[in-house]
Amino acid sequence: MEFKEVVGRRRSIRFFEPDKPVEREKIQVILETARLASCAVNAHWLRAIVVDRDRIPPEKLNQLKTPVAALTLDLAPVHIYFFCDLGIVKRIKGSRLRELVDVGALAPTHGWSDKFVDEFVYPQILEPMTNNVQGYLAAAMADCGGAAQNALLAAFDEGLGACLNTPNPVLTKQVFGVPDDWVSLWVMLVGYPAESWEAGGQRPRPPFEELYFEGDMNTPFKRDEGVVEKLKAAGMITRPAPLPERRQEIMQLAERLNLPM
Amino acid sequence: MTGESISSVRESVAVHAWVDGLRKQWGEEPADMQRRVEIVQRFCTFVGREPDAIIEECSREVEGGKRIRIKKRRFYSEKIDEFQESVDGDARAQMRAGNVVRSFMIHNGIFMQGGVGG
Repeated sequence: MEFKEVVGRRRSIRFFEPDKPVEREKIQVILETARLASCAVNAHWLRAIVVDRDRIPPEKLNQLKTPVAALTLDLAPVHIYFFCDLGIVKRIKGSRLRELVDVGALAPTHGWSDKFVDEFVYPQILEPMTNNVQGYLAAAMADCGGAAQNALLAAFDEGLGACLNTPNPVLTKQVFGVPDDWVSLWVMLVGYPAESWEAGGQRPRPPFEELYFEGDMNTPFKRDEGVVEKLKAAGMITRPAPLPERRQEIMQLAERLNLPM
Repeated sequence: MTGESISSVRESVAVHAWVDGLRKQWGEEPADMQRRVEIVQRFCTFVGREPDAIIEECSREVEGGKRIRIKKRRFYSEKIDEFQESVDGDARAQMRAGNVVRSFMIHNGIFMQGGVGG
């Protein structure tokens, strides 16, 4: 699928084919895509634990259910639990940033050197940053979000459906026994969609000009309708919700999956 | 609740809210609405409560709006499971009956999910 089409087809899928397994290869593709996300100082905070719904002991599965996500956990055959490993920066002491210098991604043309990383960046910036937990967590989570978004897009590119949910962090840590410095983030539910790919249409979004600005925060970035039309043609901007057939689709899904309406 | 007529159940505030919600969701009142109301009535008898009382028990007014009472919501969720097991028919029919009651709760703002199966 073309990139723009992948973006256009991604939406939170909540109806999965409960009995259609997901190929392991596709899960690997999702993880490989997350690994290639942009990441500050090349630290890579994101960790993932892949759970096969039918292999995890039922009592653990029940423990992981939140009131809002219980049904989707039952429907989706694969659950990927994302964590933020806050301990990574102190463990690697800037060594992955140095790798970027060594491979020429960060070059002297832009002021970078091994010495700068070893003597200045890690001890003066990164290490102190980790002691300001609130700021550090925000920065690390932002990078995890980027990686998770890559993973989401990869799922759709593989013909799957997916959505992110927030699990109970205490229970997640208990069930998986992860280290104290792993912060529980999201669970990505993955499976083959039981609903149509449009899933009711592209979700409502705030107006473009309310979100993006040019030069200062009072000047909206003017939206060019010609670009919008091109994105429609490329499949990135698709039919907006609500779609007239959605009500019927939900009724049929409720009937087929035996869900309340 | 003991032996109230269907019409009195139908006139309750909570059942009105449910029917309105279904009408909005379906575009019209479901053709088998009478059967659904009967199932809710049987559930009310099963737990010995009026429809409005069930909904009132599951939430409370707090500053700035309503809050769901988690313990009560769980209590009724378990009662629905018990109720559906008591219904005649196969697993799918039982789950359908349970889902009717869940639908009653859901359209009254009490978040609830059933399992998959039947």
